[in-house]
Amino acid sequence: MTFIDAKTRDLKTVNKEIKESVNGVSVVIKDAAHLHGLAAGLKEGEILIEGEAGDYLAVLNAGATIETRGNVGKYLADNMNSGTVIISGNTQYGAGMYTYGGTLVIHGNAGDFTATMNKGATIIVAGDVGDEAATYMLAGDFVVVGNAGSNFANFLIRGNVYIGGEWQSLGHNTRVEPMSDEDLKKLQGYFKTYAIDADAEKFKKIVAASLKPFYH
Amino acid sequence: MSVLGAFCVSVNREVCLNAQMPGKCATCADVCPHGVYALDASTGQMNIQNYNACVGCRICAEFCPADAIRINPAESEYISRYPWTLSAVEEIHYRAQTGNYLLRGFGTTGPTPNFDMITVVPSQIASEAPRDKYREECDMSVVIGEDTCENPMVLKLPFVWPAMSFGALSKEAKMSLAIAAAMTGIATNTGEGGVVPEESYYSHGYLDPEETQREWNPGGYLVIQWSTGRWGVSADYLNAGDAVEVKIGQGAKPGMGGHLLGAKVTQEVARVRGIPVGSDALSPCRYYDVQGLDDMKHMVSFIRDVTAYKYPILFKLGPSRPYADVAACIEAGADAISIDGLSGGTGCSPDVVTQGVGIPTIACLPPAVQALKDYGVHHKVKLIALGGIRNGLEAFKALAMGADAVGYGSAAEVALGCRVCYACDKGNCPYGITSQREDMRARLDPFEGGKRLANFIKACAEEVKILTMLSGHSNTRELSTEDLRAMDYNTAALTGLKLAGYDRPLPIWEEAQRSNGKGNGHKN
Repeated sequence: MTFIDAKTRDLKTVNKEIKESVNGVSVVIKDAAHLHGLAAGLKEGEILIEGEAGDYLAVLNAGATIETRGNVGKYLADNMNSGTVIISGNTQYGAGMYTYGGTLVIHGNAGDFTATMNKGATIIVAGDVGDEAATYMLAGDFVVVGNAGSNFANFLIRGNVYIGGEWQSLGHNTRVEPMSDEDLKKLQGYFKTYAIDADAEKFKKIVAASLKPFYH
Repeated sequence: MSVLGAFCVSVNREVCLNAQMPGKCATCADVCPHGVYALDASTGQMNIQNYNACVGCRICAEFCPADAIRINPAESEYISRYPWTLSAVEEIHYRAQTGNYLLRGFGTTGPTPNFDMITVVPSQIASEAPRDKYREECDMSVVIGEDTCENPMVLKLPFVWPAMSFGALSKEAKMSLAIAAAMTGIATNTGEGGVVPEESYYSHGYLDPEETQREWNPGGYLVIQWSTGRWGVSADYLNAGDAVEVKIGQGAKPGMGGHLLGAKVTQEVARVRGIPVGSDALSPCRYYDVQGLDDMKHMVSFIRDVTAYKYPILFKLGPSRPYADVAACIEAGADAISIDGLSGGTGCSPDVVTQGVGIPTIACLPPAVQALKDYGVHHKVKLIALGGIRNGLEAFKALAMGADAVGYGSAAEVALGCRVCYACDKGNCPYGITSQREDMRARLDPFEGGKRLANFIKACAEEVKILTMLSGHSNTRELSTEDLRAMDYNTAALTGLKLAGYDRPLPIWEEAQRSNGKGNGHKN
């Protein structure tokens, strides 16, 4: 195990040290809240961040497993392609945007525009999400255990959105569909894997109402 | 469309194959993008069913095996009926009938301020003597990212292919651009639609992905575009080229995103873009993951980090507030900034936006250059001028106005064979440039297309060289506004160039110079 103290250091040196350290050992990073773009584009490794983290954490993640004990800033796991990102606390605006693959689990709450333009990742929020979550989502799974704000799943294009609580309002091009056995099994699997206390039976599923909604 | 009804179509029935042998030839109907011709199914006779739809592209005349078609402009309409020309009337009828706004491809038409009313000042006895184009050297190279990254881009000529996406363009057109870049030592750009595999090694001059079989010299560069839709983007994608361009906007539709219709998202386009087949590829008008300049700075720093500080970072701007926008790009950490003018092209855009939105290219350059000067980085952070630039003369004028390089977008399509029919949005391009249809694409041989584009670049480079040397310079970096004069009041007012004859900038520019020391309307 390698410890990296990021205090007063810049993104270039910290990310370089992470890249050099991840060969087979797990890396623990602390005091990195001032760095935006921490652990960017990593292809491998297990990384634990103690305390808070800044914006763009795990941006372009390409296979690493990144966990935090604490809250993180905006645009968490932006444009992730594969790997796993698990946050014990809350995150702010725009977590899981532009993601192509991998898994993002947020045990706390997430902000507005979470999972916007998700193109294939699995994104699970154990708490609540803000407004406009899953806007223009193109593929993948988005699971919200708590409640959602307004315009939920606005202009959904493809993919599956599941919610355990209530939404303030549903966005354009959405349709509530009954949960299938497969959906149930999938959700139960997620909840078991990531130790989330939720009853899959109570979830609702939202899909795109029309497959070509945007032009006449 | 503003050209509607502006052309007369005539077919010489004495030589027309269809008139001689009804049913035997329907070439004109097959190739016309606007349905001017129609074949009568019962008689096999070709009829001109809609004269007014002709836009004067003359594709039918080019394809006609008997050379039976003539298209003549009907200009008098614009004198006698303006502003209630046939096109204005028809457009209103279209809106009234359908409730839809007008959509079209290519770029701006009609008179907008452009480079035409600028003239080049040659060298005589009072200035540096002219140089010999035939026997003396002229350095035209441009280096992007010299002081900021490990692998700067060294363009042999001051030209680039601007961003045009795979999806909007066919794979063959993208390959042609890459080959031409390799043949002339300039850069091609992926656009926002992901990278076509061939692009990455063709642009470097190789025939194979391992880059062992050298085919084209001197070898060029590939710019990877990072845009608001983030199609096909990954850490590997960012490292697949030689530079990363952050797209903020484009000239033909600044402030709007892109929209590739689901129908054009074929299996291959879907694979490259990383989205489901047939789904709409909707590029947002802004970055959802940027809420201010600070975020943009962070974005630049993580892109640099993911690309191991090797490659330059470029920005591409639409024509909005050039001074403030260029200043913001400099603050965000750009190595080069492309600014696209009003006349920039597009695969598909609402007519009102293409036609009515943005600042003309010639008026974008002076404030952009001023911003670079105010930050002390003119010619360090490179400025790339885009937007309707068609030849070496216009390129020279842009360079002398302060740009470091020039991009040919629409002109590149024309160099590939396009005849400007304004139907890029329909996906049936008869030259296989903006089509994803197999039969149309088969008409464009990427190797032949690459040669044509390379020839075009070489010719334009010679033109720039002639003009550079006759104005007394041995490299394009020495060019300045002193090498140009405006030939009319409007151009002088828009650009701050000296008015020919008067030989001084207009009083409004001199007044600004006196009041804020900069010579334009901007105050810092």
